[in-house]
Amino acid sequence: MTTADLIEALAGDAAPTPPIAAGRRVAWAVLGGAAAAFAVLLVWLGLRPLGDAVMSASFWMKGAYTATLALAGLLLVGRLARPGARPGAWPAVATAAVAVMVALAALELSHARPGEIPALWLGQTWDQCPFRIVALAVPVFVGVIWVLRGLAPTRLALAGAAAGLLAGAAGATVYGLYCQETTAAFVATWYTLGIAACAALGAAAGRWLLRW
Amino acid sequence: MVSGLDGDGAAHGRLLAALGGYLRGHFRKRIGPGAADVEDLVQETLLAVHLKRGTYDRTLPFTPWAYAIARYKLLDHFRRSGSRASMPLEDAGDLFAVENPEEGAVRRDVGTLLAKLPARQRALLRDVKLTGLSMEEAALRSGMSTTAVKVSVHRGMKRLQREVSDDDR
Repeated sequence: MTTADLIEALAGDAAPTPPIAAGRRVAWAVLGGAAAAFAVLLVWLGLRPLGDAVMSASFWMKGAYTATLALAGLLLVGRLARPGARPGAWPAVATAAVAVMVALAALELSHARPGEIPALWLGQTWDQCPFRIVALAVPVFVGVIWVLRGLAPTRLALAGAAAGLLAGAAGATVYGLYCQETTAAFVATWYTLGIAACAALGAAAGRWLLRW
Repeated sequence: MVSGLDGDGAAHGRLLAALGGYLRGHFRKRIGPGAADVEDLVQETLLAVHLKRGTYDRTLPFTPWAYAIARYKLLDHFRRSGSRASMPLEDAGDLFAVENPEEGAVRRDVGTLLAKLPARQRALLRDVKLTGLSMEEAALRSGMSTTAVKVSVHRGMKRLQREVSDDDR
């Protein structure tokens, strides 16, 4: 087939094409995925007693942290879904959120007596938290990758990492409804580790899953 | 592009034909002239532009969007043929640079940018940076002194750079 023939065929197929609202599609995938992750959480682990939780600052601190990362991930994915768009300020927003969380953790540990530090840092569940976050990220990740495949990411590893960040942060937000750890040091370390693992897995998987 | 998006098949065809020409030159420079792969890549990229045209945001310049697709298809080609692993993103600069409008698709975006300058400065920039006249020749044409031309061109470039970096945000 010559190029001229191809162009003629494509020109004949030029149905009106409204612009795709990439961000909105991704947001729907996140909501669907988060609902699925919530259902998994209910069956698997159950909820923590939320009546007490909503009165505690630590519950909202965790939620604000993971929701900020999820929002940055969402807007980043929306950008990377289009050819030629730049990441913009969103990686910086995510980095700043992590920096604030680490600063809170350092403040907390600096006020602690030396004997308390392991308990503050490791809590009861440090060896499970990152893995559970990765597991709860799976539904959102699947949804976001599926949406991205219908769009046109041109930097696959970066788009995959952003999808992983988004999924990990959404999964962590859901996990916060169960997790009873209350210290900033715990969240700054183990939540961040779980979300970072999701981003790394997403970058590796994106190279394969997002090809078009 | 926009009339094509609205369903004007003829405009869409003209866009693809024009883009095909630029792409051919662009790919030839990177994988060597005469390679049969060049035409395949051109076709693949045109097809991708067609299929993914819904991801084009009408408020943004067309060139970076099309260039990103071409770059992606070229990388994909290298990956498959295993001959070269990476291509620096800085090459995008070639396409955006006002001094180097070898890929004519850029001209449209450049024209949009230039339209933001006052008429006199626009004419000077066009003479010096696009047509390739020397500062002296441009000064002669505009009836200004060479120094004034230099200053004006310099300020114009500064301003364009500012405009472009604003667009990126």
